[in-house]
Amino acid sequence: MPGMRDVEVRSRASEALILLVILAVSLPLITGYSLLILSGFSKSMVTNLDPSSFYPTLMNWILLLQGRTAQFAGIRVNIWGIVANTLVVALGVSALVTLVGSLTGYAVSRMNFAGRKHIMMLLILLHAFPGSVLVVGVAFIYRMFMPPLEYIRFYSFFYVIVARAAIEIPMATWLMKGFFDMIPWEIEWSAIVDGASRFRVWWNVLLPMIKPGVAAVMLFGFLAGWMDLIYVRTFLVDRTLATFIEANAEAEYAYLPLVAVAGTLYLLPTIIFFIAAQRLIFTISVSGIKG
Amino acid sequence: MIPSPYKASSGEEGLATGLTKVQAGIITIIILVAVVAGVYYMVTQGREAEKPVTVELTGDFETDVVNIGKALAAHGIKEVKYTVWSGGDPNSVMRVYGIVEAAARITKIWGDKGVDVKITVTTRYESDPKIVYSDYISKWTLGQAPDIMANGYVYIASLAEEGYILDLTPYLEKYSDFLEDFYSALVDAMKYKGKIYGIPQDTEARPIYIRKDVAECAGIDLTGLADKVKNGEFTWKDLYDLALKAKNAGCAEWGVIHRKGSAHPDLIQFIFAFEGKLYNDATGKLVLDKEAVYKWFATEKAFADAGLLPSDMMGWDWGKQIHPTVVNGKTLAFIGGVWHWTEWQTKSYYTDPATGEPRPLTAEEVHDFFYYTLFPAGEPGKKPVTLSQPYAWMINSKAGYQNPDFDKLKDLYLKLAFLLVVKASDPDINAIHSIISSHLPVTKSALNLLRDSSWVADLVNLPTIVSGEVKNSISDIVARTANPINVAFLEDATYMLDYTTFTPKHPLYPKLAEFFAEAIDKVLRGTLSPKDAVDFLVSKINADPDLKEAVEIVGEIPSGWSLTG
Repeated sequence: MPGMRDVEVRSRASEALILLVILAVSLPLITGYSLLILSGFSKSMVTNLDPSSFYPTLMNWILLLQGRTAQFAGIRVNIWGIVANTLVVALGVSALVTLVGSLTGYAVSRMNFAGRKHIMMLLILLHAFPGSVLVVGVAFIYRMFMPPLEYIRFYSFFYVIVARAAIEIPMATWLMKGFFDMIPWEIEWSAIVDGASRFRVWWNVLLPMIKPGVAAVMLFGFLAGWMDLIYVRTFLVDRTLATFIEANAEAEYAYLPLVAVAGTLYLLPTIIFFIAAQRLIFTISVSGIKG
Repeated sequence: MIPSPYKASSGEEGLATGLTKVQAGIITIIILVAVVAGVYYMVTQGREAEKPVTVELTGDFETDVVNIGKALAAHGIKEVKYTVWSGGDPNSVMRVYGIVEAAARITKIWGDKGVDVKITVTTRYESDPKIVYSDYISKWTLGQAPDIMANGYVYIASLAEEGYILDLTPYLEKYSDFLEDFYSALVDAMKYKGKIYGIPQDTEARPIYIRKDVAECAGIDLTGLADKVKNGEFTWKDLYDLALKAKNAGCAEWGVIHRKGSAHPDLIQFIFAFEGKLYNDATGKLVLDKEAVYKWFATEKAFADAGLLPSDMMGWDWGKQIHPTVVNGKTLAFIGGVWHWTEWQTKSYYTDPATGEPRPLTAEEVHDFFYYTLFPAGEPGKKPVTLSQPYAWMINSKAGYQNPDFDKLKDLYLKLAFLLVVKASDPDINAIHSIISSHLPVTKSALNLLRDSSWVADLVNLPTIVSGEVKNSISDIVARTANPINVAFLEDATYMLDYTTFTPKHPLYPKLAEFFAEAIDKVLRGTLSPKDAVDFLVSKINADPDLKEAVEIVGEIPSGWSLTG
């Protein structure tokens, strides 16, 4: 019949148009990141689109990997230690958010208990608060449980991870609840009939079916920990890439190409993590549930 | 029958009735004895812990260091850990390495005298000293602040007020000779409410740099200019005329360039150059001097209107615009600072005309390109100025807290931290810092050392530096900067300290300075006239209850005043 075609198939022209629009929208981002990466390989910042300000060099990377903050003098910093600190915080937040988010998401999706609705509403409310608003209260609790000085470095890592994860958990819980909701009750029922415990059902039956959701929550948790500035700045004894860049980017004598290198280094794991998780995450839009 | 759990109480009754009076008596006695013994133990132990170990300072450095070392060793201490933080340009790393070197020197004294204790120092140095300061505050309450911090003297007020830094007055009683070596204006800057909270680490002047090549191109004779400025015979009106001449002759794109973003501290010099006030010593209040501020705004406006000063100056970028404009000779004058002298020798702001590549200037080139004078008087009859913001070594009021038995040995740890700062003020450490970072020396003995040409000639090998870490870290910058040209510049610029001014050590001054920056930006961009900008400042101050309380508004906007007459 005329005018009828398969809804799943778009014409080539409209596909090209969509791609073009996406490209146009992401152009500022792509330009920004490209200039940042280019500046890291240049003696002066390439902050405009003027190629004459690009003087190729590898010196900035060499300096940073040696832990130096300037071409002359300056102090040596343990840059790998800083990267490791950032990773510990990011992976810690990611793990905690995924664990708590998927357990809570399961509970609010599948179990009926008193206060379930209130919990869900409160979670949304908590999500509405940015971390910076809560920082005073969080600092108060930090001081209440402060251990003796020799344990404080460990404690500060633990605390930053828990505090940062707490802010991400509401969102993760809702996300996971959505995924659990999509799994037919019968699948779980048959496992329970076979004698599996609730925990076993959650771990062995349901979680493998919603890998995309778990991956998404892990990614968001990782990014939250990796990007965090205000909590690591306030509570963490050690430094992360975020605080390192912050402390070296603003001053009038800052050697910005070196900061651009640090910025690129800061960007890398995010890109790697995203590419690795991309396949899993994109299945969300197709099926929602991994078959 | 199912036994009820609530029946258990009857069992307890059975237990109570089962005890004889003798048994109950024995148990009571045991408990009483245990409590009394426990209390006695706690009291005596507590007393022991509370009894602090002290060592009196004698004023003789070596004796004091050895006494403290012996006392520490007697209490089983083998290693004392300290942390030092600072920030600023990369050339100024002696702000932390000075303490590392002092620790090595004290450890060496102990080694020579058979005291088996060593000091280890952890360092942190950031580009942005403001972050170092805010981290000091946020980490202090968490017990993670450094033991020693070198930072701007302006922070003394707030840190002392909170009790975060040590009052050094009692420590300095025996060290009056040490203190006398410092310039007295600098020591005064370390005081807050009559007490000394810091030891000067470095200071600076903010000269106006004038390009010799641009001047020559425009037919401007710079001979004797610095003296004319000194005598108040050359004012901002005269600089305006020279800038116009250079621009009209096509020798430079701009007449004058200055800092971006903040009016503090370079532009604040205008207020003093027009004999305005920023602080009232009598009342302890900040001052908005409407007349001086108006003249400052009107002066800059005149430059901007004539195309001699970029209207978007406050938004320029240091690394890409400000420094390249200055070192490549695209402006006649630059409101800079003494530290720029070596910064231009270590940062690639200059575009090599032969290769087209960016590179640092050599000392010879800096000398050949730049003439320097004081900040000229605002108008005839007034005086030239400069402005200093000395760095201070401040000691944490809990310095040494990371070490064992802090409660008991606190006095030793605090005094040792003080002696570290004393040692870090050794003339050679201060003179090396002055040369590599192009800051002015803070003691007379450091200036004398700079005048000793044989000492300067030997400096490349760093013969006096004990610490390997310090030697390794600064050898490249010393090789690049320790030369007679730079030393001569420092000596030559030191006279400017006689004309220096300071910004107020008032906790709300930074807020006021931000309003100044906002106002001057609007003036330069042409969105506010100088008069409206002053009114804008007044309304900003009045809108803030804290500032309204803390600022006195004095003077009136002069009618009919203009720079060009």
